[in-house]
Amino acid sequence: MTTLIKRNPWEIWRDVIFALFIREIRSGFNDKFGIAWAVVTPVIFIFMLSYMRTAIADGDTHSMPVFVFMMYGMTLVKFFQATLNSCAMAFKKNKALFAFRQVQPLSSLVAIALFQLLINITVIFILFIVMYVMSIELRMDTSLNIIANVLQLWFIAVAIGCLFALAESYVAELGKIRELMSMPLLFISGVFFSLKDIPQSYWHYFDWNPILHAIELSRQAAYSSYGAVGVSNSFLFQVTLTSTFLALACYHSFWKQALNS
Amino acid sequence: MIKLQNITKYYPSKLGDQYVFTELNFNIPSGHNIALLGANGAGKSTLFRLLAGSEYPNKGKIVTDLNLSWPVALATGIHPQMTGRENTRFIGMINGVADLNAYEQRVLSFSELGDKYLLPVRTYSSGMRTRLAFACSMGIDFDIYLIDEITSVGDAKFRIKAKQALLEKSKTSNVIMVSHNMDELKQFCDSAIVLNKGELTFYNDLQLAIEHYQAL
Repeated sequence: MTTLIKRNPWEIWRDVIFALFIREIRSGFNDKFGIAWAVVTPVIFIFMLSYMRTAIADGDTHSMPVFVFMMYGMTLVKFFQATLNSCAMAFKKNKALFAFRQVQPLSSLVAIALFQLLINITVIFILFIVMYVMSIELRMDTSLNIIANVLQLWFIAVAIGCLFALAESYVAELGKIRELMSMPLLFISGVFFSLKDIPQSYWHYFDWNPILHAIELSRQAAYSSYGAVGVSNSFLFQVTLTSTFLALACYHSFWKQALNS
Repeated sequence: MIKLQNITKYYPSKLGDQYVFTELNFNIPSGHNIALLGANGAGKSTLFRLLAGSEYPNKGKIVTDLNLSWPVALATGIHPQMTGRENTRFIGMINGVADLNAYEQRVLSFSELGDKYLLPVRTYSSGMRTRLAFACSMGIDFDIYLIDEITSVGDAKFRIKAKQALLEKSKTSNVIMVSHNMDELKQFCDSAIVLNKGELTFYNDLQLAIEHYQAL
């Protein structure tokens, strides 16, 4: 009859995450627009805001075209917010599936995190095409740094999302607080301004935020003449390591309880 | 044989922790089709979920080398937006079925959904969803099937089919079944476990078990 493959634990995780990932893609968007909408919305949002800013104050900001300046900021912040919020809902969303012994909350988290990463990569890709069409110079002096920043931000968002997901399985109201907290991120993360525009005595209000570091460092990596100040690669990396460790440690302690409610 | 070793399970609540099992030690013997009897709230579904691995005990562990199914209740794991076929493939992939296409076909022919198989599950009636869930679990060879009050749903034709399938399966596998319908239990099970106040008692004779259970 039905033979079951003998699988070692890694293969089981691989199959479960793959199955959940496919399920995300199929069921994430139920209306006629489907999954294209998940990509089109950020692109339109980013494009509109950046273009409006360019129309108002034309020219370059700190030796970068305004559109590119804004684009790096908006893409990274939107990516962070979307990943954080969807990872925090990961346990609640797939609760019914935990009836299967092979499906653990972590698989749901990883599948949703990968899905968000995939969407974001597609968004970036489309934005590059838009830039090409608009004849804006596609310049990335150190692209590895930019990739590293995106991945580090991804890890941070997934880690904090995991922490919130664990907390919300005990106290559901934290979800509302989380949504409230993620809204102002757009304004304080250096999307519309650069740290250079602010006097140094006020930097400490902003530079605790790893997203700001990621954005400024990416701008620096794209245009080596940008001259980013007050940000450091090592800070970003340290935040990534700490948050990932904290999330995994808390998950290891509390995941069985998250299955209950 | 399923060994329950020192199982403690409680749920937190406003009135303090509600204990379902406290340091329970029990061996569920293999080779029997077992009916699970107990009053409402005694812990039958909790025990099911613990056995299936959907939940974990607060203390203690469950030791077994048998392959147990998931708790087959009304529509576990079925996503309404995906089609019947996609849901089947999903369940197959999770459980590690070797040939997904053959599995799909088998579930289709058992559930008799026909063309509906390719439509989203949200267009199904609740009886059809049950048929799909049941067909998915019957399509995989488990050592023990955990059936949670499912055979009472569905039209007469389906009930006959379910009965036949379970009788077929009981030649090679076993069933642990929860139901409040004593006639149904008599058809499928030969022994019973009675759950009472967090204690389990195994009865080799179903009739005796039912009498004791009703006397509680």
